[in-house]
Amino acid sequence: MNRIVRNAAVCYGCKMCQLVCSFHHTGTFWPERSSIRVSRNPQKGTVKWQIDTTCDLCRSEGKPVCVRNCSYEALRIDTAQEPKESDRE
Amino acid sequence: MTLPKNRRKATVSKQGTIKGGLAGKILRVDLAAGKVWTEDSEPYAARTLGGRGTNSLILMNEIETGTKWDHPANLLCFGAGSLVGTAVPGACRTDISTINVFSGGKGSANVGGSWGAELKYAGYDHVVIREKAERPVYLYINDDRVEIRDASWLWGKTIYETEDLLRQELGDENIEIAAIGPAGENRVRGSAILIDTAKAAGGSGVGCVMGDKKVKAIAVRGHGSIKVFDPQGFMEAVANANRQCQANRAKVQSMRQSGAARFEDVDFEGWETCMVIRNGQDDFWEREKRARLMNPESGTPSMRRKVRACFSCPIGCMPFMEKAPGKYREMKGEGFWINGLWSVARFDISDPETAVAFWLLANDLGLDSDYVAAGLAWIFECYEKGFLDKKDTDGLELKWGNGEALIELMRKLAYREGIGDLLADGMLEAAKKIGRGSEYYLSHLKGQPSIEPFRIPKGWGLAVSTSPVAGRHLRGSIRGPIHSGPGGSDYDIVHCQNQAKSVVWQSKTKELEDNLGICVYVGTWSGAHFMTPANYAEFVRTAMGLPVTEKDLMEHFAVVGRNLEKAFNSLHTNLNREDDLPPKRFREEEVKTGPYKGFKADEDEYNAMLDEFYELWGLDKKTGMQTREVLERIGLKDVADKLARKGVLKKESP
Repeated sequence: MNRIVRNAAVCYGCKMCQLVCSFHHTGTFWPERSSIRVSRNPQKGTVKWQIDTTCDLCRSEGKPVCVRNCSYEALRIDTAQEPKESDRE
Repeated sequence: MTLPKNRRKATVSKQGTIKGGLAGKILRVDLAAGKVWTEDSEPYAARTLGGRGTNSLILMNEIETGTKWDHPANLLCFGAGSLVGTAVPGACRTDISTINVFSGGKGSANVGGSWGAELKYAGYDHVVIREKAERPVYLYINDDRVEIRDASWLWGKTIYETEDLLRQELGDENIEIAAIGPAGENRVRGSAILIDTAKAAGGSGVGCVMGDKKVKAIAVRGHGSIKVFDPQGFMEAVANANRQCQANRAKVQSMRQSGAARFEDVDFEGWETCMVIRNGQDDFWEREKRARLMNPESGTPSMRRKVRACFSCPIGCMPFMEKAPGKYREMKGEGFWINGLWSVARFDISDPETAVAFWLLANDLGLDSDYVAAGLAWIFECYEKGFLDKKDTDGLELKWGNGEALIELMRKLAYREGIGDLLADGMLEAAKKIGRGSEYYLSHLKGQPSIEPFRIPKGWGLAVSTSPVAGRHLRGSIRGPIHSGPGGSDYDIVHCQNQAKSVVWQSKTKELEDNLGICVYVGTWSGAHFMTPANYAEFVRTAMGLPVTEKDLMEHFAVVGRNLEKAFNSLHTNLNREDDLPPKRFREEEVKTGPYKGFKADEDEYNAMLDEFYELWGLDKKTGMQTREVLERIGLKDVADKLARKGVLKKESP
C-alpha cells in the first residue's frame, strides 16, 4: 500500500505538510483536520511526525500536496508494504 | 474597568472590508477585574493591515498622554500577522507592542515560532492585556475557553523550567507558550518574552512590562481554521512564492547551513563592516579571533547539532545548540544567531563556549541579548576606566575577554543581585548613579542600549538611529545593495551618499512584513529577496480580499504603520531630531585599526542623510515633525488632530 513517509534526518519541523494537507481536506488552513500531525519539542530539538488513515494521497490532485510543498524534500511516497523508514528521531 | 468604547469607535474607520486571513477577534484581558472579552479585529486591520499596525492603532487610541510603562493603564498587545496561520512561506511572526520602557514612546518587538499561528487557530489575531494582576498569573487560551490562572508555582522559574512545567500541567504537546524568565519577573528593563524557549521578542523591554503586569506566560492551543478569500488564487500565489525561494537554492542552502549566522564564514564581509569591539573603542576585530570563535571543529559550529524552522518557513535558520559541561554547566536549546557572535565580540571574547553559553543563558533567564551585550560591555569599560572598582562589581574582574565574568554578571542582572540591581533599571539610570562622564561611553538610542555599528555601514546606522522603537536594525537597516530591492538605489555601503532612499524602501517593506507576519529572512532582508512586496500584494488580494496593488501597500499601509509609531512618540516623549543621530561616541571617535581606520559617523554627513530621509517620509526637516498633509492622505486625520492639540504637528503655512 502506498503511503507518505518522512525522512526525519532532513525534516526541520516547519509544519507546512500538516497545513497544506488540511487545506486539501477542508479548503481552509485547519491543522486539526489534517492527516498529518507535527509536534515539536524545542528543548530537545525533536520533531514528532505522524500520519493517519485519512490520508488519501491527494489522488484528486496528482502529486500529494505535502510532498509538493515540503521545502526540505523530507517527504515522499513509499510503495513498500512494510515500514522501513523511521519517522522517529 | 471598562473599555473606552466610544473613543475607539470614533477613531477606527474602515478603508475596505477584509474577507479572509484574519482569525477575526481581539482578545481583551483586564487583569484587575479578572475579566476577558472580545471585539472584532477586522475594522482595525482594514485600516492598518493588521499585526503591528493594529497593535500601534490600539495603543494610539487608548493610551493617555503621559502614561508611563509601569502604569496599570499601559497595554501589552500581542498581534499575529494577518497572513499567519496560512501557507504563506515564513508567515509566522507576532508583534508585541507596548510603551517602550526605555524611551517612553512606542515599544515593539517581533518574534517567530508557532505561537502566533496557534493563537489564530484559537480564534484571535490579538491579545491585549491591561491593568496588573495582584498575584502572578498565566493566561490559558484554549479556543473560546480563556482563563486567568494562578502562576505562583511558576514564579521564579527559568524559561526552560516554565516551558516544561506548563506543558506537563496542561498535558498537551501542541501547546504553544510565550513566557518571561526571572529577568522579566524582576522588572529588569532589557527583558524579553520568549516563544518556545528560544525565539526572543527582545527589544523595548516587552518582557519587563509583562513582568510588571505579573503575567508569567500565555499558553495557547487552537483547534480552529483560517479561511482565505480566494483559495485557488491564494495557492497559486503561494506556489509562485515557493518557486522564487527554490529558484535561489544556493542562498537557501547557505542560510540553512550557516543558521543565518555566517557561522563558519570567517571572511564574510560583514565581519569587517559591522563589528563593534570593546564597547565601541574600535570597529575592527582581528581575523584570528573570528577564526577561533567560528572554527568548524572547535568553535560555535561544532556545538550545532541540527537546524530547525519556524512555522511555515521554507528556509530554516534556527540551530539547535548543545554545549558540553566545561567552564559552564551543560546547556542545550534552539536558537543562536549572528547577534550571538557580535555580542561576545563586543567584550573581545573569542571563546566559543562563552558565546554559546551567553546566548542560551540569555534565553533561559529571559534577557534580551542586545541589552545584555551593549549594557554590560559598557560596564566593562566603566571598570577599565576606573569609574568602578572590584568593590562595586561584587569582586568580578570585568576585563575584556573575561567570559566567566560576563556570564556571572548576566545572572546577577536577571536576579538583581549586587551590581545587577544597579544595572537592572536601565543603563542610563545606572550612568546617572555612576556619573564621572560614564554616559558618553554608553551606546544607546533613545535610551535603549544598542550593539549596532554606525561608523562604517552608514545606511545601517541611519536606520538604527531613526527607528521609532529606539534602535534595533530591523527597521530599515541596509548593508549594501542586497538589502535595497528594486525600489532602492545603488550606493557604497561605507559612504553616506545615496543611502536614505534604500533605508526608506527597506523600512516600508518591514512595515508590511510586520503587519502581515512575514519573516524578514523570507522577505526582503535576506539579500535574496525570496519574496517582495509584489508577492505581498498577491497574498493580500487572494487571502484577505483587499484589491490592492504593490504601490498601495508601499505608499499607503507601510506609511500608516510608520506614522502611527512616529505619532505615538511625538505624543508621549520629547524625542527630536538630535535623537535620530547615532550615539555621540561614534560621531566623535574614529575607528582605530583595520581597513576602515579613520572612519566615523560624521555628524554633517549623517545630518545630510537625515534631511533626505525626513523628506522621503514627508517629515519636517528641521524638527522631524509629521505634517497634516501626509497624515490626512493616509487616513489618519484623527492622529493629526491629536498631534496638533499637543503642538507637535508641523505648523501649516498661512
